[in-house]
Amino acid sequence: MRDKARKRSVALPVLSSTLRMLMRNPVSWLIIGLIALFTAKYPESFLSVTNLESILKVFVVTSMLSVGPTLVVLMGSIDLSYIGIWMFGGALVWLLFPYLGMASIFIYPVFGLAVGFSNGIVHVKTKIPSFILTLAVTAILAFSTTVIAYVIYGVLTLAVPEYRFLTGSLIPHLPNTLLLALPVLALSLFFMNFMKLGTYLCAIGSNEEGAELAGINVKKYKVLGFAVSGFLTGLGSIALYSYLGARAPVTLDLNDLVRGLAAIVLGGTPLVGGVGGPHRTLFGALAYTLIYIGLFLTGINPNHFKLYIGLTLLGAVWIVSRGLKGVLIS
Amino acid sequence: MSSSDSPTLEVRNVSKTFDGVVRALDGVSMMVRENEIVSVVGENGAGKSTLMKILVGIHPPDVGEFYYEGVSVPFPRNPREALKRGVSIVYQEKGVIPHLKVYQFLFLGLEEKFTRLGRLQLERILGVAKEVLDELGVKCDITSYMYELPLSMQKMVEIVRAILAIRLEHGGAGADGVTPIIILDEPTAPLSLEERDELFSHLLELKKTSSFIFVSHIIPEVMEFSERIYVLRDGKLVAYHDLLREKVTEEELFREIVGRESHSYLWSKYVYGKPEELKERSIILSVKNLSKKGYYQDISFHLHKEECIGLFGPAGSGKSEIAKTIYGIIAPDSGTIVTNTKKAGSKDEPHHRLRMGVGYFSGETGKELFLYWPIRKNISLVNMEKVAKKPIKIVSIINFKAERSLAEKVMKKLRIRAPSVETECYSLSGGNKQKVSVGKWLERSPDILMLEDPTIGIDVGSREDIYEVLLEMKKSGISMILVSDDPKEYAILCDRIIFIKDGKLQKVYINEEFRKVMQL
Amino acid sequence: MAGIHLSREWVKRSLTTITPITATIVLIIALRALNPFFLTTHESVVTLVYGMSWFLIAACGLTSVILMGSFDFSIPSVLKLSAMLCGVFYPQLGFLVIPLAVAVSLFFGFINGILLAKFNIPSFMATLATTWVAEGSAQIISGGYTRIVEDRAFWAISITFIPAKFGLPSIFYWAIALWTVGIFITLFTPFGRAVYGIGGNLTGARLAGINITRVRILVFMLSAFYAGIAGILYAAQIQAAHMQIGVLDTIPLFASVVVGGTALTGGVGGIYRTLLGVIIIRWLDTGMSMIAIDPNVKMIVFGAVAIIMAIVTIDRRRIRIMK
Repeated sequence: MRDKARKRSVALPVLSSTLRMLMRNPVSWLIIGLIALFTAKYPESFLSVTNLESILKVFVVTSMLSVGPTLVVLMGSIDLSYIGIWMFGGALVWLLFPYLGMASIFIYPVFGLAVGFSNGIVHVKTKIPSFILTLAVTAILAFSTTVIAYVIYGVLTLAVPEYRFLTGSLIPHLPNTLLLALPVLALSLFFMNFMKLGTYLCAIGSNEEGAELAGINVKKYKVLGFAVSGFLTGLGSIALYSYLGARAPVTLDLNDLVRGLAAIVLGGTPLVGGVGGPHRTLFGALAYTLIYIGLFLTGINPNHFKLYIGLTLLGAVWIVSRGLKGVLIS
Repeated sequence: MSSSDSPTLEVRNVSKTFDGVVRALDGVSMMVRENEIVSVVGENGAGKSTLMKILVGIHPPDVGEFYYEGVSVPFPRNPREALKRGVSIVYQEKGVIPHLKVYQFLFLGLEEKFTRLGRLQLERILGVAKEVLDELGVKCDITSYMYELPLSMQKMVEIVRAILAIRLEHGGAGADGVTPIIILDEPTAPLSLEERDELFSHLLELKKTSSFIFVSHIIPEVMEFSERIYVLRDGKLVAYHDLLREKVTEEELFREIVGRESHSYLWSKYVYGKPEELKERSIILSVKNLSKKGYYQDISFHLHKEECIGLFGPAGSGKSEIAKTIYGIIAPDSGTIVTNTKKAGSKDEPHHRLRMGVGYFSGETGKELFLYWPIRKNISLVNMEKVAKKPIKIVSIINFKAERSLAEKVMKKLRIRAPSVETECYSLSGGNKQKVSVGKWLERSPDILMLEDPTIGIDVGSREDIYEVLLEMKKSGISMILVSDDPKEYAILCDRIIFIKDGKLQKVYINEEFRKVMQL
Repeated sequence: MAGIHLSREWVKRSLTTITPITATIVLIIALRALNPFFLTTHESVVTLVYGMSWFLIAACGLTSVILMGSFDFSIPSVLKLSAMLCGVFYPQLGFLVIPLAVAVSLFFGFINGILLAKFNIPSFMATLATTWVAEGSAQIISGGYTRIVEDRAFWAISITFIPAKFGLPSIFYWAIALWTVGIFITLFTPFGRAVYGIGGNLTGARLAGINITRVRILVFMLSAFYAGIAGILYAAQIQAAHMQIGVLDTIPLFASVVVGGTALTGGVGGIYRTLLGVIIIRWLDTGMSMIAIDPNVKMIVFGAVAIIMAIVTIDRRRIRIMK
């Protein structure tokens, strides 16, 4: 009885502070604004069933590529390796299918974990800036995938037809890809809020020296942060695998790279670290999705697409920077 | 419960030498009893922080005995073991993690006690946080972020965390069985006057369940709030006072801290400006009503030509913030800074001030110097007009020969010991590094030169050399403003000394009077 | 301190100098073995020069930014946009496309600088955003198509051979000139000192009265200027502008800077070193083409080289906290 009363008296302040945070965060207003705008201007197309399904799908793709890396951004670094994990992981599934059968899809989280872990170790041991390390890693992995497909095996895609059942919708109108994504989203929130990992990463991003003084093994948690990020991306790639119809892309599309970062920045996790988290990235992903879908709804010339995304990114980065005065950056 | 006879914590005969050369501590003994506030005072380098680091397990001592509640135990080998001995530390700065919520920060590093099956028991954490804060009389919203709290409250939360860490290590969050001993390292340095009062009233409350070791060099506070005082100087325990049994004056304490060394020959070499004389000279810098909330208020003074003014005060008095404001590193809330040519803008950066004729010499060579650059590059950096020419209108080119000879000139004048002007500064000794730093300003000859801790951490010989140079610079027309922790420095360099306390101007002394007051 | 200088500092310094030189020698030997005509015929030299010149110019720009301790992603994209402006608007504007391209490039550089200096946005993020805007702009004006420039006069900027018979194309001279100017600016002017200073010790630079905001903006504008010029010359050289260059070229560009010996941490190295780095990377590229290595594999190699050399050149002492 006492425990329950305690739970209630405690849950309330946590909830109210979360609501406070939401109201203060510009992304919430952006989402509301976009929804209002599109509902007003294109009510038939925007609120149509197919469009809502598209929104869900694009949301899944965007969020699967950004929730993992958010943990790394939280501690003040950058993780761009998500594209590489997604692509090369798909190649591994294709390569290992003859040997592991249906179990080969589970290579994804394992591979993601391995990549993340090695990113972390190299970064911590050599002090190479994380953005250049993970960019190079993603490039290497992405191009390796292309090589495996086009050069070594001479195929155009690395699809595994046996997994086709993953596509489609078990529950009408809810794409399977969303169902596969839910555990990843839940896990990321769990790591963030219910394990000390989230607190420690936030501490490292906020004041690395202070975290060290407080007895946190900063090196260990940095490696762990990268590892978990890779793991979540790997796991999330299974949902993406379903989205593309039992395969992962074989050529590098930089739009996807920007998409992940855009979701993180839009959501309000500034790149200096210490603030934000996967919960914010979800909103960022939603905002990005709405912008993305909205751009198509307004029937823009596909050539203009990149520019608008670029301007969005610029705007998001600028808005998030407003709160960062007085920090000496390079 | 521990017996009321033996002290909770006692160390005897602690000695520590670093690298076989630097004797940081030499035979120091101290003890802490239940529910008391003990102070350890001394200058920078006296050994206070080394002693504290030994108590919390960061360094092992070379020699010494450790007694916990009368029983001899080994020294803690890491902070965790120190927690078991009931000792924890709250650092002077960088201890707070601004973006964590209060309850997250309180339990940072202690989460295992609240984790079950890998999951943090948030309800328990929040509950315990509330209970402990209530019990210790600290009122704040546990779900707010640390940066949202006022500074004194942040310090209090740090203290509660230290107490909590000790209690949890001993079994539970409740106040039974163990008296935590919390080391407070210069806790009041970043606080304003009101915040300090708040902090101390809280500490007096907390004294009922804990003990505190107050490490400081702010004499008035130490005398007001502690019951016993240990004075360290050059690694030795030079004095001990039990304030409940004896009376000590601030001046006595001050002298014990500073020590009576033989005065340098510079002591009587120079004649310092008398008030009537100073009034005759032109005013080179005028500061009016400079204020910055939380740091200093209503600061006004004039600086004359060829004069050196010292801003003297304890740590946290605002003196270095005032100096930083004059050089444009910090922006004031209000007030004006005027030189005889220009008025300073409020959004200024150091380069604006440099153009106004103000320079800034910091004794912290790590910040000031480019350690991987050769001497000549360091010296020419602020002397570009002397070594670069403009053959065409927009393009100015560095003349390497001029650069080299400039550096050689400085090296000769200051007796800098190095193979050549190409030597990289990281390989120079501390004193020589400082000389390179001073040398570049010597060449630059700004109208006004700010000096912040100009001789920190260097040997006596080099110190004398630098004082000579500074005094020569003063005679050649450079006015200076000094901020330092060493009263002897003020006595050697300054014509007038302005006392600053709690961010406000207290009194102005001329050199003679200052020496009398400081009993130097 | 006379005597044996076997300090770590010395070893590392030598490594960063010896490695590029050794690598070049190894490459010459290897490439000669693969193709006996390498460097012996006029034609092979010219081909090499065509591949290196525009690349060198862009790499010089990147070097100056890295020296300052920042990063610039947008160089290949600004280059592309600049080339595309020439390709698309030459029919209407003729040679006026050149000032147009330069102006647009300078604008992007200015934005990059402002984002960093005034808004405190980390440089790689700021330049990533501007990259995308540049990419988008190039996409729009080109419509996705390659644009061919038909006027010989324009081509002449890059492909005029000096001396006429056995000389080198003009783009080579442009590249060397710009490289020299870059060295001059960074090593011989107070501005260049400031760049090294900011990269070497940001606090110290500030205390010494360097106008950090101004220098940062100017350096990014310089880098964008180099990118813009490289774009113009590239368009003149291949007589067209295409969308194939892009963000990914940042990797070989960056690789050439670190291979040359300029450290990512800033304050160390210089534009003079970048020449060697460019030679190594481009010759590596040529060599790999000779043995018919797939372009994707090439990128993998460049990525690996970039990581390895970045690690080797990083000044680990100076970094206490690396993000």
